Amino acid sequence: MSGYRAGMVDLASGLISREIFVNEEIYAAEQERVFARSWLFIGHESQIPNPGDFFSSRMGEESVILCRDRAGSVHVFLNSCRHRGMKVCRYDDGNTTVFTCPYHGWSYGTDGRLAGVPFFREAYHSELDRAKYGLVEVAQLCCYKGTVWANWDAAAPPFLEYLGEFRRFLDLILDGWDGREGQAELIGGVQKWLIPCNWKWPAENFSGDTYHNISHRSVDLVGAGPSGRSRRDYSELNVARRLHVALPDRGHQTITYMLPKDHQPQPAYQNSPEVAEYFRHCEAERRKRPGINSRMIGAPGEIFPNIALLPRQPRTLAVWHPVSAHQTEVWRFFFVDRDAPQAVKNFLRDYYIRYSGPAGMTEQDDMENWNYAHAASRGTIARRYPYTYEMGMGHAVENYEWDGLQMPGRVVDLTKAMASEEPMRNLYRRWAQFMEAESWDALMPWRQTARARAAE
Amino acid sequence: MSDPVNIRTLPVGTRVVLNSGAEVEIVSNPGDGVWLFGRYLPAADDDAEEMIFAQDVVAVRS
Repeated sequence: MSGYRAGMVDLASGLISREIFVNEEIYAAEQERVFARSWLFIGHESQIPNPGDFFSSRMGEESVILCRDRAGSVHVFLNSCRHRGMKVCRYDDGNTTVFTCPYHGWSYGTDGRLAGVPFFREAYHSELDRAKYGLVEVAQLCCYKGTVWANWDAAAPPFLEYLGEFRRFLDLILDGWDGREGQAELIGGVQKWLIPCNWKWPAENFSGDTYHNISHRSVDLVGAGPSGRSRRDYSELNVARRLHVALPDRGHQTITYMLPKDHQPQPAYQNSPEVAEYFRHCEAERRKRPGINSRMIGAPGEIFPNIALLPRQPRTLAVWHPVSAHQTEVWRFFFVDRDAPQAVKNFLRDYYIRYSGPAGMTEQDDMENWNYAHAASRGTIARRYPYTYEMGMGHAVENYEWDGLQMPGRVVDLTKAMASEEPMRNLYRRWAQFMEAESWDALMPWRQTARARAAE
Repeated sequence: MSDPVNIRTLPVGTRVVLNSGAEVEIVSNPGDGVWLFGRYLPAADDDAEEMIFAQDVVAVRS
């Protein structure tokens, strides 16, 4: 099988051309084919609690405004004046009654309506149809457990259908540590920084690259984790199954841990007795709840195309915003339970920024890899040689079940295999489908399957 | 031509004069230096809030 432009993504051989990372024409095509059609993470409702609150976000390369209007409704608008395109909002966040373009003064309400046009009577002779020139609003918006997602394509499936069975993994971030629904709130500001590599480097990494753990050896040795050992608390790994889970029809993939039945909470967060007790209590409560998530522990994963999730240590979402073929702007959002004690929040904030972000010890390791791998792949000679993604080809299984717990999608049991490149192949398979498909009709095979079943 | 009026920090309740000669009372100020929300004076019961463009403001009355 050859995929996307004569084998650039060749999953039969496991070879992927370096061109998809460094070619500027391909990058330009991605903006239309991938980012203008995918559901993208915008922000969290806790960033805009009051009418008039706004947060400047991004969708692909473009600036958008997440805001709450006077009536309390949430909107996402393109941050570009309809008159000459100037940004109408140049602050990171705040509260306002209007977004005013500094160029000619056109002004928009927080509901996007064009409210003020200088010299409307004198220069336009009251003839301009202001109703036609509100801020451009996204085609679809979804608020899910506090997170806000948007899509420019009206033909895309609704967000939860887009997620499919991956919803359970997102829930591991958004639900409380004790299993209650939707308890997450943002802590601190959003960390933002530029890295000199293509956005797919971090997307691939967070799809579940366990093979690069050696890169983090120094962090493990120094004991950056919340118990002073390793970089995370891993005591469950002695009994859990460690899996790669990939959803082929959606392009989402993750690492996850399945706990055995009747598993008891293990010591964690040992650097603080108060925090350790809080998590012991939460883990015990979580195990009392029905549903499969009480037996799952989240780990790095990726929602197609550019949203990384890390549900536990640290608990964070990251967005890999494309800037150019050779540059990415990273935005990292950190979460805590909103009703956690302040001492727990403080402890976690310290741990989170010690681990992740531009100054985080683990993320610095990752950036060294991404940035220098990208730079070393740009040259004329380097581009001739594709990357290999052959690890574990043909060894993923479907209908995976262990100790009475089923897992969706294609699964690789890493408990013995240690690593696989199934998640990366899944990411690039979906990427190639987006790059080739003319419309969303060709990107929803699950609907065709459902129609076929209904017709039988 | 009069000096430009800096409307950015004018508080609510301030009365301004427009180049048309009309007088307006500020009901809210977004602070962007471009627009005010005001009510034309003398006030009538059904007076709607209107957006006032900075370049139309020629003087501050109070």
